[in-house]
Amino acid sequence: MDYILHLAILICIYTILAQSLSLVAGNSGQTSLAQAGFYGIGAYTTALLTVNFGLPVFLTLLLAMVLSGLIAYIVSKAAIKTIDDYYIIITLGIQVVIFSIMNNWQAVTRGPLGIPGIPSIEVFSFAFDDKISFLLLSVFFVCSVWFILHNISTSPFGRVLRALSEDEVYTKSLGKDVQNAKIVSFVISSMFASIAGVLYAHYISYIDPTSFNIDESIFILSIVIIGGMRNLRGIFFAAFILVLLPEVLRFIGMPSSIAPNMRQIIYGLALILVIYQMGQKQETNKRVSNANV
Amino acid sequence: MILLIINIIYYSIIYAFIGFSFFCIYNTSKYLHFTHAISLTFGAYITYFISIQLNLPLVVAIPISVLLGIGLMLLVNQYIYKPLQIRNIKNWQMLIASLGVYIVLQNIISILWGDSTLSFRTWPVKQGHPFYGAYITDVQIITILVSIGLLVIIWGFLEKTNIGQKIKAVSSNPELSNLLGISKDKAVVWSFILGSGFAACAGILIGADTDMTPTMGFNWFLYAVVAMIIGGMGKMHYLFLGAILLASAQLLSAYYIDSKWMNSTAFIILILFLYFKPYGFSGIRIKKVEI
Repeated sequence: MDYILHLAILICIYTILAQSLSLVAGNSGQTSLAQAGFYGIGAYTTALLTVNFGLPVFLTLLLAMVLSGLIAYIVSKAAIKTIDDYYIIITLGIQVVIFSIMNNWQAVTRGPLGIPGIPSIEVFSFAFDDKISFLLLSVFFVCSVWFILHNISTSPFGRVLRALSEDEVYTKSLGKDVQNAKIVSFVISSMFASIAGVLYAHYISYIDPTSFNIDESIFILSIVIIGGMRNLRGIFFAAFILVLLPEVLRFIGMPSSIAPNMRQIIYGLALILVIYQMGQKQETNKRVSNANV
Repeated sequence: MILLIINIIYYSIIYAFIGFSFFCIYNTSKYLHFTHAISLTFGAYITYFISIQLNLPLVVAIPISVLLGIGLMLLVNQYIYKPLQIRNIKNWQMLIASLGVYIVLQNIISILWGDSTLSFRTWPVKQGHPFYGAYITDVQIITILVSIGLLVIIWGFLEKTNIGQKIKAVSSNPELSNLLGISKDKAVVWSFILGSGFAACAGILIGADTDMTPTMGFNWFLYAVVAMIIGGMGKMHYLFLGAILLASAQLLSAYYIDSKWMNSTAFIILILFLYFKPYGFSGIRIKKVEI
């Protein structure tokens, strides 16, 4: 039972990460591979502040969001100059830089040793230290992030994002501030990712850089792609399936030595198939639009 | 200091070599093909398999592994990339799909040979030849010479032969060359043969110098892509310029700060370049930046 709760909390955390990425990757069509970096910034900010200075969690949550938003703002200034596959490469670069800061700046982050002993979340002297209450807390965060993202994507701003993902130059010609929309969506997305990081740090109570590396970014991106880019509910189900995948593999008796590799192979194949499927959809869309013309 | 210069030369030649092998493919097919990283790894691992596990001499192992590397990439091109491209999907989707292929193949290699570091070095590790107060190993000399030789060959192939001209035609204007009866598919296949073959050679050379892990191709590939972007999508000498800049920045940061920051130096340079000088050294305008 405890283990099921643990998986449920992980599903919540990955849902927040993937849904926030879908604002950038799905709505504005800028596929970012830096999400795990901002996830890590959230986790490290709260871990360092609570362990070293004993700050309350809601304050560190705010600080983590502000910090990752700030960093996202700075790097997105460079990233928005590029599109398409260059954008992926530059966000990959951002991810690598953030990871190596976490891994190598040993004076502050203790490098690969990680930070142990992160206290559990406490709000008004109520400690979320057992799994059920923590699950409720994460469900609360999932619901609020879901609600906010849903509202953003149906708002006029969300429509600008979708328009620019279809045709950037055309959107610009309609007088919309494309650059600004891209920056704002990237900043919002990384702020939400840092919420997931805060939850993760206080839940596991020990963090090290390997939880926030490039594989994690690829994993989050594959949740978004398999879930259907803009489809928040689909992303939730994709997070559900991909988090449970290792358990399924264990259940069917995969030897543990190759299980992590098999898991990666399965989601690699899923990525290829989903991309294949996306192409088909676009083709039919095009045919429909031609018929309309 | 001399050692630093030797290392800079060594790294920049390897970056230029991998970058150029990748550039061959990128130029005709127009998408960042992440599976290229597996060509490096695959070449090294097949050489390991043939020379150590089957106990055959390296002279046999190297050509076979290069050929197998080419064959693998042709299969990937034929059965994965082509069906995807028929569906008219965007560049970033191709990139994600090739990342998927990379993940699958890399994990197959991990399953087959394990995650630990391997080496097909059978010769003893020597201190190397003294060279103006520094040391340079045999493998490094061989790497530099072979890379330069192969770069000259690849350049000659692209410039002087019929197939090379066709590849260049397709890369500069696919529609027009299609009108003139130059098949894009054939040019892409030829560029895959060239690029993957040279990447496999690079993988073998890297595997001979340092040891190999299933993920070794990824970093080298990324550095090469960074060198290519810094250089701009131009001619060979711009790529060289990018590779030299990248290698010297990385090694200087390793020399003066710490070697563990080499990774981030590469990408910080990339970010700075895309911010201040988005077209790289060559200044050739591409649609990817500043839309």
